[in-house]
Amino acid sequence: MFKKLIEESTGKSPWLFHINAGSCNGCDIELVSVLTPRYDAERLGFKLAGSPRHADIVVVTGPITQQSLPRVLRSIEQVPDPKCIVTMGSCPQSGNVFRGSYSVAGPLSKYVHVDVDVAGCTPKPEAVIDGLYLATQILQEKRKGMKK
Amino acid sequence: MILDALKTLIYVLIFPGFLFCFLTGLLLAGIDRKLVARMQKRVGPPILQPFYDFFKLCGKQTIVPAAANKTVFLVAPLLGLAALVVLQLFIPVFQFQIPAFANVADLIVILYLLLIPAVSIILGGASTGSPYAGIGLSREMVTVLACELPLVLVLLSVGRSVGVAIGAKEGITFSLSTIVRYQLESGSLICKASLIPAAIAFLLVIPGETGNHPFDAAEAETEICEGMLAEYSGAPLGVYKLSHAIKMLTMTSLFVMLFFGGIGTGIGNLVALIGLTGGAAAAVTMLLDVLVLFVLCVIVTAVGISFVHAVTARLKIEQIFKYYWTVVSALALLSLVLVWYGL
Repeated sequence: MFKKLIEESTGKSPWLFHINAGSCNGCDIELVSVLTPRYDAERLGFKLAGSPRHADIVVVTGPITQQSLPRVLRSIEQVPDPKCIVTMGSCPQSGNVFRGSYSVAGPLSKYVHVDVDVAGCTPKPEAVIDGLYLATQILQEKRKGMKK
Repeated sequence: MILDALKTLIYVLIFPGFLFCFLTGLLLAGIDRKLVARMQKRVGPPILQPFYDFFKLCGKQTIVPAAANKTVFLVAPLLGLAALVVLQLFIPVFQFQIPAFANVADLIVILYLLLIPAVSIILGGASTGSPYAGIGLSREMVTVLACELPLVLVLLSVGRSVGVAIGAKEGITFSLSTIVRYQLESGSLICKASLIPAAIAFLLVIPGETGNHPFDAAEAETEICEGMLAEYSGAPLGVYKLSHAIKMLTMTSLFVMLFFGGIGTGIGNLVALIGLTGGAAAAVTMLLDVLVLFVLCVIVTAVGISFVHAVTARLKIEQIFKYYWTVVSALALLSLVLVWYGL
């Protein structure tokens, strides 16, 4: 019963940790707008956590610059299992307009397993909520697969 | 002998103890989050959200930082939780109080026990060696210090007021059960004009003690990564979140017992009116008392924590200190002076 309770709860209380990997700030503002009264992602249990140790879902924005790459990877390592990685915007997926630049090390999927990609420049808040909701379901699956 | 031991076990684990604290504390935290959301015109999380959070955290991996002292890191949260559960055992539910505690439950003990959760969180944070925790714990200490003075003044004025009324030997009483019994006989203390400033001061102390907005400089998520909790993950973090929820219950129920203690009597008479007697009457009264206590706790939370959270922004640590030692202390002192002159 206890195990089932934990599995149920894992999908209902996803805490976000947001990493800006050289983003233009557009996606960051859209992510914050998801938490505002208009879209209110907190009704699904989403909460912005201050420390990667508290997080379940890591949201990465920006094209992963050479400077930010080691910090991004280190922050992701610090997130306890089960965890999900969501990229937001086109930049972490493809590099977007920054593709081919000498200072860009992306895409992120070259370095870590990415669970959900939310494309767009910038994605609509509805799309972000949809992507995050998908991530919570993956999180629940991961928790079920975890050995206790 | 065995029956007594069993009874004590039930007290500690189930009714005023752990299970009761767990359920009502987290429910209160959920109601608080919902209320804040509604006040900000949001839909808000479900009321059971803190339960989901707690069980989710139980299922997460626990990472112990390499620099941390493992024993202190893992034991500190449990220490704080245990102190809060003991604290809840000391606070009566209207007429009901654990018989063994009836004579020792006094305000001084409660003051001491209130400090232990803060000390445990400071210990746990310090053991991680994180610089964020360092900043957080120094701020936590200042917040605790700031809250202490007005809290002591409030408790002194309540004690003096009741002590004079019942003709105590020293002119002051610190016994919580005496204070509640006095209120059951002669009406709640909130009706006394001289104690209204003290009640307001206590209401302002509640968010400071529990570390809620706007007095949460010690746990500021956006600037210092939740301070002392920055390195915590998994079950120990869940225990800290649980302690925070129980502290809300403890502070609000202490407020209810100190200032609204008289409300339980009417219920008792009501039960007698229906015609119940003996054990059934006691059980129904008990149940109604708990219900009344919870409803009052929700009201106090709504006014003292949720509303304040919704309308204010976080204060700086020196502003918190100044605010408590001037405005709130002045209110409490006003009450103390009025009470001392027999008003």
